Amino acid sequence: MPLDFSQTIAQIDSMASRLALTRESRRHKLETAMATMTDHSRNLPALRDRIATAMASRTSTWLAAGLLEGLDLHIAPPSVPNEFTVIAADGSHIDVDRHYAAHCFLINIGLVRLSYGRHPEASLSSSPSLYFNDEDVVLMSPSGGEPPEPIQGPLLGAKRSVDECRALARAATELSGDATTVCLVDGSLILWGLTGAAYPRFVTEALIKGDLIKHFSQIQRLSARHPIGLASYISFPRNTEVVNALRLAICPFDNIDCDRNCPPKARSKPCDTVGGLLDRDIFRHLLKPGERSAFFASLSSIVINLYDPHRICFFYLNTGDEIARIEVPLWTASDKNVLSSTHAIILDQCRRGNGYPVALSEAHEQAVVSSRDREEFWRLTEESLAGKNIFLETSLKSQSKRTRWL
Amino acid sequence: MDQPFTQSATDINKIGEVIEARTDQLLAQCYRLHEAPPLGSLIKTREGSIEIYGIVAGASTHALDSGRRIIARGEHEETDEAVFAANPQLARLLVTDFTAIVAGHKSDGTVRHYLPPRPARIHAFVHTCLADEARQFAASLDFIDLIAAARRDFAVDEVVAACLRRLAAVQTDPQDFLVRAGKHLTVLMSEEFQRLNSILKRLK
Repeated sequence: MPLDFSQTIAQIDSMASRLALTRESRRHKLETAMATMTDHSRNLPALRDRIATAMASRTSTWLAAGLLEGLDLHIAPPSVPNEFTVIAADGSHIDVDRHYAAHCFLINIGLVRLSYGRHPEASLSSSPSLYFNDEDVVLMSPSGGEPPEPIQGPLLGAKRSVDECRALARAATELSGDATTVCLVDGSLILWGLTGAAYPRFVTEALIKGDLIKHFSQIQRLSARHPIGLASYISFPRNTEVVNALRLAICPFDNIDCDRNCPPKARSKPCDTVGGLLDRDIFRHLLKPGERSAFFASLSSIVINLYDPHRICFFYLNTGDEIARIEVPLWTASDKNVLSSTHAIILDQCRRGNGYPVALSEAHEQAVVSSRDREEFWRLTEESLAGKNIFLETSLKSQSKRTRWL
Repeated sequence: MDQPFTQSATDINKIGEVIEARTDQLLAQCYRLHEAPPLGSLIKTREGSIEIYGIVAGASTHALDSGRRIIARGEHEETDEAVFAANPQLARLLVTDFTAIVAGHKSDGTVRHYLPPRPARIHAFVHTCLADEARQFAASLDFIDLIAAARRDFAVDEVVAACLRRLAAVQTDPQDFLVRAGKHLTVLMSEEFQRLNSILKRLK
């Protein structure tokens, strides 16, 4: 049945009225945020220490950004190198179908290398991998003391991100020449899907410490030979770490301890004067087209505990079309030339790609698995297994979805 | 038994591969973007021991993925080459292909101006023909019948005229070739005066 619009329209109207009301309050919050930024930029070390202490003691409710370079900096776009290369990887997958008895999943990684300058060149490819062996479709606890964790859902998403970085590292290793290079993935370098109590520790250790970090290090080693940076691009980011740093700046208590100073039942908190803002709201105000913000450190526990030696940093970039968040490891951020090239090249990629890095968009095109491809994949699987006289059960629910009978 | 075409990667006459094949027509994809053989030129491919000749009847350049729309990119570039230099991926995402009308074949060393027993195979290499081979192909003019009878979903008369102009250019006496071709067309199109006239005008 189609959606009942006669009922929905009234709800849409009340949503619009609510948004109009909050707009005015957001304007005030933004003014407060900008003023706080300017004030505290004059005494950055004090705020830096305050944030570091609060994060280390875990007494703040808010995950705040670590201040490394500044707070209200806005850095003009550097010029793009004459010769440069962008390598981008993006993935897509066919998840385990629990209605289907063949326990397998497929990860398709799209890889793109674009070289600019005197000899422009492109290479575009995709490589699908089917995982079906017992040891490939679960993560085993090294001690054997915990039950194996099946790789599916968000865990498969995390594995896919690791595979994207593996493809990047491999492609970067195969580079010839010494042109400035940026290795790019879509989304966060931080595997947020693995945080919290969702998975046992051996899972995060296997994927991050065991695999992801290895790929990061492989790219980092190449940076000794020629300028190479690693970055991820987040479009329309919803992060609030810089806003949270401002919350800690505004907090009137000498010792930050959210639970004690502002009990959860308290009606309002002093730092709510900037609450509800996103980092991108602030930087839309601060950054002119092409400019980047200062770079900040992620102080999230997953990075602190598992990403060593690759501390993850980030900056915001006004691409001209949106405020994007760029995440980079500290070794990319702390090399002035590489950071500057990364800024210029990502901006240039957005210009060439109508607002989104062209290499990422082509990597996505290479990787994408359409719904038709999915159907074809399961049909081929069935056919191939039937050819070997293996007939698999499918659930009646799955069959009912395939045949929409009337 | 004929020798197969040279299939080394260095073969300069190898221009593409068959991607759709019918007995009377084939579609080939060019290895190099924008480098389709000229309209009316003679190409050849192979099915087993038989060489199949085709006359190029049209070419097109388009997105490899038909779902992706091509957008203008060169507003701030000085040349169209600069558009490709600034967007190197385009050369991999666009593709040029061409259609050829099958105009005869060669089996047992003899050129035959009628359809081959089977169509070319998919992925069969396509080569352009050199002057010697073009002269051998056009020693008899019966191939014109096959082209002129092709389906009218492209400009057949333009193809006939372009083909005759190109074949004339490799003859020792081009004028004599065109006169003979004109006479052949006159017999072939004795009841289609306007069409005949339109082709003859294009032979000049």
